[in-house]
Amino acid sequence: MLGNIDDRAGSLNGVRPVVTAVEVTKRWSTTQALSGATFEIGDGVTGLLGANGAGKTTLLGLILGLHRPNSGTITVLGRDPWVAGADVRARLGYAPEHDALPPDVAAHDVVRHLAELHGLPRREATSRASDALWEVGLGEERFRPVGTMSTGQRQRVKLAQAIVHDPELLLLDEPTNGLDPAQRDDMLALIDHVGGDLGMHVILSSHLLEEVERVSASVVILDAGRVVAEGEIADLSRTAPELIVELDRDDGTDPARTLASTLQASGLSVAVEGDRLVVVALEASWVYDVVRDALADGGYSVRRLERRTASLEDVYLARAGSGRTI
Amino acid sequence: MSDRDSDVIAADARARIFEPGYRTYRGVRLGVAHSVWTLARHTAERILGLKRPARYKVLPFAAILIAYLPAIAFIGIVALIPNGLQRLPNLIPGPGRYYGFITAAIVLFAALAAPEALCPDKRSHFLGLYLSSPLNRSTYLLAKAIAVIGVLLLVTLGPPLLLVVGLALQNDGPRSFGAFMETLGQILAAGLSLSLMFGALSLAIPSLTDRRGIASAGSLLLILGSTAITNVIAFGVHGPRNVLALSLGRLPFELALRIFGLNGLSTRFRGGLGSPNGSPLSTVVVVAASVGVTLVAAAVTWWRVVGTEVTR
Repeated sequence: MLGNIDDRAGSLNGVRPVVTAVEVTKRWSTTQALSGATFEIGDGVTGLLGANGAGKTTLLGLILGLHRPNSGTITVLGRDPWVAGADVRARLGYAPEHDALPPDVAAHDVVRHLAELHGLPRREATSRASDALWEVGLGEERFRPVGTMSTGQRQRVKLAQAIVHDPELLLLDEPTNGLDPAQRDDMLALIDHVGGDLGMHVILSSHLLEEVERVSASVVILDAGRVVAEGEIADLSRTAPELIVELDRDDGTDPARTLASTLQASGLSVAVEGDRLVVVALEASWVYDVVRDALADGGYSVRRLERRTASLEDVYLARAGSGRTI
Repeated sequence: MSDRDSDVIAADARARIFEPGYRTYRGVRLGVAHSVWTLARHTAERILGLKRPARYKVLPFAAILIAYLPAIAFIGIVALIPNGLQRLPNLIPGPGRYYGFITAAIVLFAALAAPEALCPDKRSHFLGLYLSSPLNRSTYLLAKAIAVIGVLLLVTLGPPLLLVVGLALQNDGPRSFGAFMETLGQILAAGLSLSLMFGALSLAIPSLTDRRGIASAGSLLLILGSTAITNVIAFGVHGPRNVLALSLGRLPFELALRIFGLNGLSTRFRGGLGSPNGSPLSTVVVVAASVGVTLVAAAVTWWRVVGTEVTR
């Protein structure tokens, strides 16, 4: 018999990472799916971001213990999933990317069946299947065969079967695939609810920056099997905050270059974009004072003064394909 | 305000809407054995068409009916004709010969109903969800094998058991308790061996495809085709006699006959594995062929399920 849910306490105190990977490599015949992936995934919702073929699904397979890494180690909830697969998977929920539900079976029966497979006694499984389907908004539809449901409803059934046994860690592989914008909004709200209100750790695998940014606190970015960035999105976005100064250019002079020279002389890192934009690296709070004084002393006509932080998209574009790691 | 009114208000103040909704699960979590049993039960239900529309029940229950009907008829005959077994010894078969009456039911059940165990999981990609549970590929296959073999026992074990018990209840069965227990043991062994062999075959072919129709046709083709080909080799072109042991339509029943101490030659079983010159194949060859066929079929299933990609 496996331990009960109280075991979760140890992993929720923030001390133990939910998933740890060290130099994990996975090859499929001639294809290098993962190449020395090293990262840690902690509490809350974490986005697993990468283009199609970046290695996200392979990584989920490794977390589930379905594949053995060619080299390196991966630890899930403190255990090696390849060695302790059954115990680890009993504490995981997984919603695959593609349709994976038998069309001729009622949603409630599918969800109950998966609950029992994860170790719940039949009576508990029956009751929790209803609860889980209500939770994802399919309470009234729960006895309908899955094959008669819309794409959005089937995605919800997949989410319900993944949460029915109250897992510690939820793996969602492209959960918004095939959804229209309204359905996608609803699904992301559900994921946010599951990761927040229900207290499950969630790994959200997606190739869509926007949805990862919307619901995830942290992110692991994969590119061609390599981890090119990882950490909290807020931290990654703070990697290179900048001050944008946009100047008027009415008199035919080149004020941007003049200002840039002045600021460089004061020891700041400065770049010029076009003929009106000066980009100043915000390395310290006193940079604002130096820029203010330079603008006042030079009598520049300022159109815009704005602090710009890197978005997740900036981070992704900067890192993906470059082969660099943060 | 009356006393009655104040009671109502007090009751209202205590009222609660009981809607717990989704909540943390603090109960027990059962282990892998529970998962295996759950999947085996679920698969058996699907094979039999239980909890599904009526059209899914027709085939399995027709095969079951065909398997039990002769036993019921024989018991009825013995009930209507006193000392029927003694007066009509050639009409009422023993449990070993009974399989000759239900060969078609067993083959049809194995070929047409059993593919339901594997094909839908692959076709709907549900296998990926199974393998994300505490099950792995080995325990998944174990559960499927338990389900298929268990359901096949309905047609391989149940009917001869019914026949013997039915005859015994009318004092027309084995003459002593020891003989009765020996017959029960033989029925159990024969039923299990038939279920194992047909179970292995009816998992091997469906493991090669995700289409039930193709799996059923392939199973029938293998079972009936191997019988036709080995007959042609042995009787048509006078090839090696032991090739008859690869007749998959007859081999399982031949093994069952040997368990009952009967040879498959024409004196006992017209469809048995008699060689062209009239002598039966040796029991060693029959047992070795049965074990070999079962192991090869199991190995094919294992190879296919292990090789099925669920995430990559």
